[in-house]
Amino acid sequence: MRGRFFYSLLIIVVVLCSCRNSANSKNEFIFPEADSVPIGEAEKLSAEAIAEISKNISSPVEIANLLQLLSVPFSPDYLASSIDANKQTTAFDKALTLGILGADLGYLNMYEKTGSSIDILSSIRKLAEGIRVGQFFDFETIKRLSLNKSNLDSLLFLSIDSYTQIDEYLRNDKRGQLSALMIIGVWIEAQYLATQVVRQYPDQMLKDRIGEQKIILNDLILLASPYCSRDKEFNSLCKDLQEIKNAYREVRITYTLGEPVSLEKDGGLVIEQTETSTVDMTDEQLSGIVEVTKNIRNKLITNN
Amino acid sequence: MKKIITALLFLITGGILLTGQSSDPLVASCVMNAGSNAKYLKDFRVQLGKTASPDELRYKAQISLWKNTKYRFTMCNADDSQGKLILNLKDDTNKLVLSSYDQKTGKIYPYIDFICNKSGIYQLGYDFANGQQGSGVGVISMIK
Repeated sequence: MRGRFFYSLLIIVVVLCSCRNSANSKNEFIFPEADSVPIGEAEKLSAEAIAEISKNISSPVEIANLLQLLSVPFSPDYLASSIDANKQTTAFDKALTLGILGADLGYLNMYEKTGSSIDILSSIRKLAEGIRVGQFFDFETIKRLSLNKSNLDSLLFLSIDSYTQIDEYLRNDKRGQLSALMIIGVWIEAQYLATQVVRQYPDQMLKDRIGEQKIILNDLILLASPYCSRDKEFNSLCKDLQEIKNAYREVRITYTLGEPVSLEKDGGLVIEQTETSTVDMTDEQLSGIVEVTKNIRNKLITNN
Repeated sequence: MKKIITALLFLITGGILLTGQSSDPLVASCVMNAGSNAKYLKDFRVQLGKTASPDELRYKAQISLWKNTKYRFTMCNADDSQGKLILNLKDDTNKLVLSSYDQKTGKIYPYIDFICNKSGIYQLGYDFANGQQGSGVGVISMIK
């Protein structure tokens, strides 16, 4: 009798525990248990896994596209104009700044402020040459396209493709730390852009996009983690990313289920997803994210 | 007539500029073919040999997709490709969200427009229909 009672109790406990895990993994996004990936584990990250992560990080062009969709006017105030490429002495500074300016270039291109991008292009050229990846950026062609606004598609392609090639080359050249820095720089600047705009244009779609960055933040931290103990600069950057993660801790992302709906159109297929994600983020949480992003980004560009 | 010549010159110059820079002309032409309303985001160059077990798509990659965004997945094949490039997209629970290959009819769609309503990390799977040998490129763009 007693044996049967304990057996039943064990089944109930197991079922309850598994239901709880299932609910968490299917209906709500949570940071993985290991908030900071142990260095030993992170070092074991395969080159393939790192390549996966670097492709995961969304393009700053997507944020700029959203801003255009919301009719947010262009503002040069968001750009990291104070950066002087000549003052970047270490490879760390050069790679991080290359990322920051890459995001600014995407913003300028999307708003077709291509004439203004010449200064940024010159800085990108110096920085890329500084870490011996200048060969992947056809500056003359990009400059020519920038001055000819009608070739925006080509310009977007060439700019993004150049950064992709630089990223791949650095990883293959066993300089993955510079690739990681470039990607982190791009993300921080795009995040800064979104969080600055939301202060003036508190649109729900933009707020959601900021909240949704929680999904890839862990990947960014994972990308940086093999290098956190490399030097003082990297160590400080890893702490900065953890600080941003802390600001996101209470942001909740939940999901509702649904089946996709498809229809044929003009020889192609159009599919609308009916599953949805919803961000639950208070104004205080958003303010915290805006503040920490601003402080870290401004610190990075001032240090540079 | 002048307008036509100007337009042609523009197209040719644009094409030369694009193919001149990209290391791979197939990628450049696929980007150009994605449509005038499509803004390039990423591309995946796929080259695979023949396989005897075509059930699981062999080329895999991850990508983050964002709610309230319309994406276009375009598939292009090299002239000498024996198979046609197909795409599957699965979400983080491994649920199939879309496929460019209709197994019932055998129809292969050259592009798919995807209206994303759930932000997250998705898994792309590329292969050539029926496990054929092939060479192609998948381009992901945003549509306004």
